[in-house]
Amino acid sequence: MEFTLLFLAVTIVLLAAWYGTRTLALALFAATLVACIATYLHHASAVLNLSF
Amino acid sequence: MTAALALTLNALGLYAIALVLTVAFAAQLILHELPCPLCLLQRIQFALLAVGPVLNVRFGPRPSHYALSLFVAAAGAAFAMRQVLLHIMPGDPGYGSALLGYHYYTWAFIGFAVAIVALAAMLSFDGQFAGDKPPVTASAFARTAVWLVIALSALNVVATLLECGFAACPDDPAGYELLRVVVL
Repeated sequence: MEFTLLFLAVTIVLLAAWYGTRTLALALFAATLVACIATYLHHASAVLNLSF
Repeated sequence: MTAALALTLNALGLYAIALVLTVAFAAQLILHELPCPLCLLQRIQFALLAVGPVLNVRFGPRPSHYALSLFVAAAGAAFAMRQVLLHIMPGDPGYGSALLGYHYYTWAFIGFAVAIVALAAMLSFDGQFAGDKPPVTASAFARTAVWLVIALSALNVVATLLECGFAACPDDPAGYELLRVVVL
């Protein structure tokens, strides 16, 4: 679900960059990039079931 | 480099991003290679990479627009490298099938590395930033590139919703969760 929301956020950022103000696009971009990094850190900190 | 040439190169960059997203889609739909969570995150970074070129096409080339794409390319390269390292042990078959000898996440790392070099190269041409220029009118070539990337990003919203449903995405997806819920 979180990845669906991230793709939705990216689509909104792209639409804001094309139609909206530059400030709005930059703010939405920053929020989306932070959300991506937070999602990555959440997954990277999960327990790995390694086979070795 | 003139601003007009820079905008053409930005549009070409958007077409390159659209190509990457299309190949990922083709692998998913034709080869039934369902993307894992880390694979989806790398796909999201490729789509987010387009924000800089879209802003350049809309408002004219600025160093800050290239900087946005550099941040995304660095994050995408880190995410891809994480997945490469997860499968670095000898004997590990890797995730999914290989394309031309490399897995998709290895290609993703190469793609983000190429993007970083290309962005640095673009930033080194000061001529495109010279003078106070009025907002440029985007060419049909550039407008098509922008809409192609937006459409592919929107398609990924639908595809990811079908794959993951309304729960967390499985680490090793075997089918489309939302379709399974609807059918059963």
